[in-house]
Amino acid sequence: MADEFAKGLAVFMGAGLAWLTLAGWYRTPSFEGSGIQLVAEAPEPSTIYGTIGIVLMDVMAWFAVIGALTFWVVIPLFEQARASSEERGS
Amino acid sequence: MSDTDTTTNADGAEVRTDGTGIVPPDDETPTWSERKARSQGLARLTYEYFERSRREDQDLRQQSSYVERDVLAFPTWPHEMIRNLALVSFFVGMIVFLSAALPPHIGPPADSSSTPAVILPDWYLYWSFGLLKLGPLNPDISLLGGQKLMADRTYGVLANVVIVGFVAIVPFLNKGAARRPVEQPFWAAVGMSGVVFAFTIAVLSVKNLVPMDSHVIFDLTFFLPLVAAFVTYAVLRSMREGYMFNLNRRYYRLRPPK
Repeated sequence: MADEFAKGLAVFMGAGLAWLTLAGWYRTPSFEGSGIQLVAEAPEPSTIYGTIGIVLMDVMAWFAVIGALTFWVVIPLFEQARASSEERGS
Repeated sequence: MSDTDTTTNADGAEVRTDGTGIVPPDDETPTWSERKARSQGLARLTYEYFERSRREDQDLRQQSSYVERDVLAFPTWPHEMIRNLALVSFFVGMIVFLSAALPPHIGPPADSSSTPAVILPDWYLYWSFGLLKLGPLNPDISLLGGQKLMADRTYGVLANVVIVGFVAIVPFLNKGAARRPVEQPFWAAVGMSGVVFAFTIAVLSVKNLVPMDSHVIFDLTFFLPLVAAFVTYAVLRSMREGYMFNLNRRYYRLRPPK
């Protein structure tokens, strides 16, 4: 169980850091002042690298959420269901 | 490690797994050939780390003539140092990564000819700045015909002396024999009220930080630390019943082996 928590945490932290960096590049007009940060409208990419970066940003954001939920909720639920069904069967 | 401190082995005898007593090998203990099969990479490093610590722990137990010789700590090298190196590498890596990937914007130089609208010290001095704003506590003394004994600014400076003096005196009033807050609820409550007061007096120094009447903020500055003290004392006092007071006693009675 602790392993699953560590895996989920690693996914959440790693993907979150990648999303934070890319969002700082593409969706933050300025870190100064009280303007909107990290979730501003992304500009239309002009290069292939920009396109990759913006796609990767969304991929990382969803990976952080879904990956962590997978390890913290889905897999433990699956394990518990399997254990209880085995217990009932024997 | 198992979930409980004591497990029962095949013979039915109780085996202590909390680090006290030497556990004999059982069926799950790997043989020496199995151990040596892990010959490379992280598995090898992990094995050597734990095996060496186990061996050193065993040696220390066998050399020591003390009855209470259960915990003799880990050596600084390599155990603590390898862990510290891992932590240091992580944080240095994060600093390098963030400073390379998200460099902070460097603004224009400060204009010394214009005074900013809000003047505040650095955040870690907010508490001291807040103590300069205790004018409402400076009493009008009727003997002096309703005058104040000292100016509000002098009063604020003296308040700093009082607070710093109290912080300096506390270690002499309480020598710190408690290993957990639950062992001395009163002093834990004093500490918690101090932490909360450090926060509330800092909020007071930035009067328009919280959208609230400034008189209410002034009252809360002194009321919230009292609330924190009472809550801390009540919670810890109720925890005492379940606390094992000799939990850590043996750690601090230890003497090094001869």
